[in-house]
Amino acid sequence: MHKRVHDIICRCEEITEREIRGAIRQFNLRTADEVKRLTRAGMGLCQGRTCALLVEKIISEETNRKVSEIFPSSTRPPVRPIKIEFLAKKEEKES
Amino acid sequence: MNRIADVVVVGGGIIGCSVAYYLAKKGVKVIVIEKKKGLSFGASGANQGGCALQLFHPPILELARPSLEIYRNLSQEIGYDVDYENTGSLVCSVDEEQYPDMQKHVEKKRRQGINVQLIEGDRLRELEPTLGGDVVAGVEEQEGGIMNPFKVNYGFAYAARKLGTEFFLSREVKKIERDKNRITSVVTDREKIGTNFVVNAAGAWASQIGKMVGISIPVRPRRGQIIVTERLPLNKRWRYILDADYLTTAFDLAAVEKSEDPRIRLGVAGSYVQENTGNWTIGSSRDFADYTTRVTMQTIRYLAKRAARFMPKLKSVNSIRLFAGLRPFCYVDGLPILSRLNSPRNFVIATGHAGEGVTLAPITGKLISELITEKTTSISIDAFAFSRFKGLN
Repeated sequence: MHKRVHDIICRCEEITEREIRGAIRQFNLRTADEVKRLTRAGMGLCQGRTCALLVEKIISEETNRKVSEIFPSSTRPPVRPIKIEFLAKKEEKES
Repeated sequence: MNRIADVVVVGGGIIGCSVAYYLAKKGVKVIVIEKKKGLSFGASGANQGGCALQLFHPPILELARPSLEIYRNLSQEIGYDVDYENTGSLVCSVDEEQYPDMQKHVEKKRRQGINVQLIEGDRLRELEPTLGGDVVAGVEEQEGGIMNPFKVNYGFAYAARKLGTEFFLSREVKKIERDKNRITSVVTDREKIGTNFVVNAAGAWASQIGKMVGISIPVRPRRGQIIVTERLPLNKRWRYILDADYLTTAFDLAAVEKSEDPRIRLGVAGSYVQENTGNWTIGSSRDFADYTTRVTMQTIRYLAKRAARFMPKLKSVNSIRLFAGLRPFCYVDGLPILSRLNSPRNFVIATGHAGEGVTLAPITGKLISELITEKTTSISIDAFAFSRFKGLN
């Protein structure tokens, strides 16, 4: 299906507003984590730093709740993408 | 508020939702209770989503094989694509000393009717150039596959809901009421549900539900940590690659605890899955940390180091997310518990799947539905009976 660029909510994974609303309705989703897991919105290189608020806004519209009542998506390390070889390195402080 | 169900399933993970689906398909009225705000928040949502058939031994193999059969057509059956792919699997080693173990593994698997072949390192690298120079040899098996665990979990829930199953989220079971031999109702923080059966599919939390009916279920959370990478072009031949440590230490609690090697003691054995999106997940580890789902730098370092040896290309690849989950681990023998109790006789246990929950979810749901609606199950589950813990209860 051709995607219109201005409908894209998650730019990393190219997920549209329509896909997100469709998943919320099909699976009765209530949380940003669930939307992420089923649509991949927020699963890309930036880990939702760009789209998380938009996704929460869409969930609030679909479920008739305030944005402040939407359970936010869980944040996990790393804060920024980090190369596997750096994760494999021993810190100098350690013996 | 009072409600009525034929069966109350405690736990909205991949096992609970599979059980609900297979029961609903038989016309049973099911209510699933989940304490989190959504489904798939335990081990079901924190794993690599694969079934490497060659790793399983009887009695689990007898369940893994038919479960994989179901996976082949699951998307059509439930009307939702769970991204199942028949990728096969490769178990390989970076240690010469494991060569005899791999030869023995091949013989054993052939006797079990699994088609495997031993491939030498140079040939492996011809077939799959991403494999590193340290890889000595590998064993290929073609029946296994990978699937998206979230989609399997939600797919079962979606199909069950269409058949009338209700899902009560953000609900905690507070009490299980019973008369002499039977459970009569399940009390949550919001309602009381009268029911004919209770299925305990609470995963790493199953022992807490067991206590409510006065039994001790020997299951505790065993943590697993995972690294997710950015997208890469799809591997040519193998997208499910495992460390031969799986043949020697990963499934052996005693070997893990006795080892002198700190990596083995943290239960680190490489497991690499490339999803259809191109992202790699790098596992696996196993340790006991109560209910903590934090990652630890020590384990992540071993995971990263090990991955770089098997696939040096991964060194310069970005990790985008680190996470951990809690497997429901039976500390008596490591096997699942699939069982209906004698007292209360309408209490059914479906947990203890450890790292095999995704692999075994479809067959578990099918067999538990048979256990409840029929007198016998189509495959024997005697090896998974609760009565094996005689000394405990």
